[in-house]
Parts: sequence; C-alpha cells; structure tokens
Amino acid sequence: MKSLPNYLKSQRKHLSLSQEEVGFLLGMGGMGKGEKVCRDENFLREPTLQDALAYEAIYGRPVRELFAGMYQQAAQDVAARAKILNFRTLRKSDVRKQETIIQLAQNASVNSSKQ
Amino acid sequence: MIQNKSIRILAIAPLSRGLGYAVMEGPDKLVACGNKAILRDKNAKALAWVNRFIQFYQPDVLVLPNVTAADTRRAMRIKTLHRKIVAWAGKQPLNVRLVSVTQVRTQLLGATKGTKFAVARTLAEKFPTELETRLPPKRRPWMSEDPRMDIFDAVGLAVAFWPKNK
Repeated sequence: MKSLPNYLKSQRKHLSLSQEEVGFLLGMGGMGKGEKVCRDENFLREPTLQDALAYEAIYGRPVRELFAGMYQQAAQDVAARAKILNFRTLRKSDVRKQETIIQLAQNASVNSSKQ
Repeated sequence: MIQNKSIRILAIAPLSRGLGYAVMEGPDKLVACGNKAILRDKNAKALAWVNRFIQFYQPDVLVLPNVTAADTRRAMRIKTLHRKIVAWAGKQPLNVRLVSVTQVRTQLLGATKGTKFAVARTLAEKFPTELETRLPPKRRPWMSEDPRMDIFDAVGLAVAFWPKNK
C-alpha cells in the first residue's frame, strides 16, 4: 500500500483543532491562514521545511510519519540514485563510502517492500 | 476475505440524506471519517462524491453495504445508487466488498441482533478520539435519526471488513 502524501487532517482531527487554529499556530498571518492549512491537507501545496517542522511540533509526530507518502517517495528516489552512485564508484577503493551507499540502496529497497 | 492488513479501504454508506464515509489502514487505524449531506439530484452528486473520495484516498478496496441481503431494507433510490457505484467501481482498479448489517453486528456486538445506537456506542469506545464527540444521543421514538449516524454506519462497515481478532 502506498501511503497518502500526508496525514495532517487525521492528526488535526485527533486534537480537535480547526484549520484556522493550526494556521495561527504555524504563524501564518492574514485571513487565509486556514486556507493554507486546507491546501496542505488536500495535497495541493507542499509545505515549507519550517511549516513541516511546525506541524511536527503541533501534532507531536515525526515529519516522516506526518508526510509518510512524501517520505516514501523521497526514500525510493534516494535508493535509485544510490544504486547509480554505487555503480559509478565501484572502481574507487573507499570502503566506508562504499558501505554507506550500499546501505542506502538496501534501506530504500526495504522501505519499498514494506509498502 | 482479504487477510492483508497493509491495505487502505474506503467504506461508503449511501443513505437518504447523502452518504457516510470512512477510510481505514488496518483494523485499528481510522484515517478519516465523515458524512456528506446532499440535496437535490442526490444520486448524481453522491456518485461524484464517491469518485472524489476514491481519487483522493486511493483505496485498494471499496466497502459497501449489501443492500440486497435479506436483513436489509433500502429505498429504491439507494438501491439504484448502490448499483451505479458498484458498476462504476468495477471499472476502477479496486476491489469491491459488500458487508451486510448482520456482519457488522456480529463483528461489533457479538450477536446478530442489536440496535444502531449500540453499534455506534461500541465504535465510539473503539475509536474515542475520532468518534466519541460525534456520538449522537440515543434516538427517542418521536425523533428522526441524527445525521451523524451516517458516520457510524460507514465506520461500522469499515470495521466489519477486517477479520476479527487478527
């Protein structure tokens, strides 16, 4: 199963907060602060790093859980690139680097098999 | 019965006022639930909403009530809507499962008989953060059914989909 891009709405409902209240907590100003939260929840906007960390602080869940789908996608992309990098650096003899790249490629293949 | 717990299901309960919906990712994880009131041209609008829910939540399985079961009575409009949803879902890359009211009661109350309120109260106890505040008061004989019961109908279907004690 592929995770949803984010689980912001269900976490907000858990805490019985309104979108406008979350917008205020995120430090969004003006009249449309609830609308920005709405767009985040409906996958229409990718929040900034600052907003993502603020969401973590509000909901008490790590960013990788809140944005599970985005995290899975990023992990898969990293794995694909790690495989390429592994292929590129085969000739070089830096063992630690080699181990890191192999680990990254394996981690991501484990993540994709969990989906 | 599907045994795999790593799937997302969308349960839809088409009712006279509109529809209730629930999304679960496993027997204990209720991702979303709610109800949608629909006025005028109900079947077309309800079908559009089901389409929107499927596009948004990307479920693996669509759970619907079994309106043709012996223990179920539904208005002709609801039956027509149900047929349309099943036909439409058949063209989508998802499975459709029908769950009867008896299955819901058996799963939640442990008996084939019981009231809707008893089912709703059991669900509110199972998912207190999501449903406790939405539990309506017990319906009296002179009262109409509370619109919030649509949510509990949908969540009941979603919960009954998962095999018990697994």
